[in-house]
Amino acid sequence: MSLLGQIYAEAMHRWVHSLLLFGALFFAAALPVAFHTTGSAAKRETSRLMRDLGYNVRILPKDAELTSYWAQGFADGAIPEEAVQRFTTADDLSYNHLLAMLTGRVEFRGASLLLTGLTAEVAPETKKKGSMIFEVEPGTVHLGHAAAKGAAAGEEIELDGHKLSVAAVLSEAGTIDDARAWVHLSDAQKILEMPAVINEIQALECYCADVGVDNLERLREELETIVPEGQVLRMDAVAEVREKQRRLSEEYFELLLPWVLAACAGVIALLTAINVRERRAEIGILRALGHGSGRVASLFLMKAMGIGVDAALAGFAAGSWLAVTYGPAVFPETAGKIEIEWSLLQYSVIGLPLFAAFSALPSTLAAVFQDPAETLREEGP
Amino acid sequence: MIRARDIEHTWRDASAEVRCLRGLDLELEAGEFCCLRGVSGSGKTTLLLTLGGMLKPTEGSVLIGEDDLYALSSGARALARARDVGFVFQMFHLVPYLTARENLLVVRSELGRAEREARADELLESVGLTDRADHRPAALSAGERQRVAVCRALFNNPTLVLADEPTGNLDPDSASVVLDLLTQYTAGGGVVLMATHSETPESRASRTLWLRDGTLHTA
Repeated sequence: MSLLGQIYAEAMHRWVHSLLLFGALFFAAALPVAFHTTGSAAKRETSRLMRDLGYNVRILPKDAELTSYWAQGFADGAIPEEAVQRFTTADDLSYNHLLAMLTGRVEFRGASLLLTGLTAEVAPETKKKGSMIFEVEPGTVHLGHAAAKGAAAGEEIELDGHKLSVAAVLSEAGTIDDARAWVHLSDAQKILEMPAVINEIQALECYCADVGVDNLERLREELETIVPEGQVLRMDAVAEVREKQRRLSEEYFELLLPWVLAACAGVIALLTAINVRERRAEIGILRALGHGSGRVASLFLMKAMGIGVDAALAGFAAGSWLAVTYGPAVFPETAGKIEIEWSLLQYSVIGLPLFAAFSALPSTLAAVFQDPAETLREEGP
Repeated sequence: MIRARDIEHTWRDASAEVRCLRGLDLELEAGEFCCLRGVSGSGKTTLLLTLGGMLKPTEGSVLIGEDDLYALSSGARALARARDVGFVFQMFHLVPYLTARENLLVVRSELGRAEREARADELLESVGLTDRADHRPAALSAGERQRVAVCRALFNNPTLVLADEPTGNLDPDSASVVLDLLTQYTAGGGVVLMATHSETPESRASRTLWLRDGTLHTA
């Protein structure tokens, strides 16, 4: 009789035991899948929310006076324009969504405006994502709500003798950006007469900080190697919100998962121990029939693994359904869009049988090393 | 054919040491049906398990043909056990979740699948259990279970069958059927060593040995 046939017959015969084993493994799959699916959605949502909050890292010229920066709205000094490109070739950085800017003051229709020139965002090769800000075509200007001074989209205006076409007048933001005119970096360099330089790089701190790591220190160390002529500021309020949002969702998962898995492993170990105990005489007779340790061990390990595969499929389906159905209610703040994480299916189908085998291993070893002569003296079935 | 030399078996626990078998010698020849008698606790089951390669003696050797069982690796000994030894127990020890037929097929065998199935069917037919082949042990009578157990022991046509009180739980008719099966087996050159408390099997036996004080004595 084949080993698989024997395992199947035993599993069907002791169906209550098999069902309990299936149940323990089912929970060991379903709950992590549900947590992870919800957690991943929470991460995505957190990432989106944080991106909406804007750039939280600013790189300024090293010699820029910060009191002056905050007072006038731009940094004194300059960094070579090409500095921003250095980030694109570096790996494993804590920076992303890098935006090179040159800001200065110009007069427009009797008012002093902040003129900010910018180019398209750049990012390290491995972290390319959609831009967080609109792009400005050369020869055009986007005017803040207060800066427009009656100018309208399509109109041609002049800034310090340079003609520009108004591409848009932005809606009121309630920030300093209302008094800002956005132009292409090349236009700003001409208007401000600062060719080939910038005076600020805005960036988004990468979503990869480890708990307990001083990330600002890391940002500074990385910057020192890439743009030694710069200094870094981090907008702590924004950064802290990011961290809290991220950790909140992760902590649910990290706190519960070990307990869930430990409990499931304990139940599986107990059920296997009961199974081994019930089958002592059978193990003895199989030995008497000439079967070795491999066959005896396989009876228990492969049963656990076989049920583990079934439980992984069912657990993945149930966990995904739980996450999609109830996740938004459990994580209303962060789980905006929960999607089935198909990558978890392969982890479940491979990982859960191994988890089952590992949990069943102590009892299996007890079965392998039990003295068959001892059991054959006892009363049998 | 089967030779046990200077078999010593000593049980030890924290408080005591029991010398169960004391320098025991035994030779069994082809076609021999030997009864083993002795009071409870005299060591009959220990001797059977030792001869069957299931219980390593404290000292001594067991030879089946040219194979010194306890000089073999555990894997080789398991293979030798499958090939050369059949066991029959008082409590049948059938695998409860397998049918009668599957209980024969679960024996380790070097036969191919089709040959194994044919052998199982042949044995079940020989003991009148063809129509019970797909029943599990729980659905069989005690006599039927023991017939299945004997078939299982004979599956690989072994050199030696070790039977431990095989008729102890059977009515006289069923006991007679089981003894007939074992007698037929010895007629074909097999060896049976049967531990028993009953005098009935002695009529079939070529000799009876008594196990007393850890050694064997003739009646």
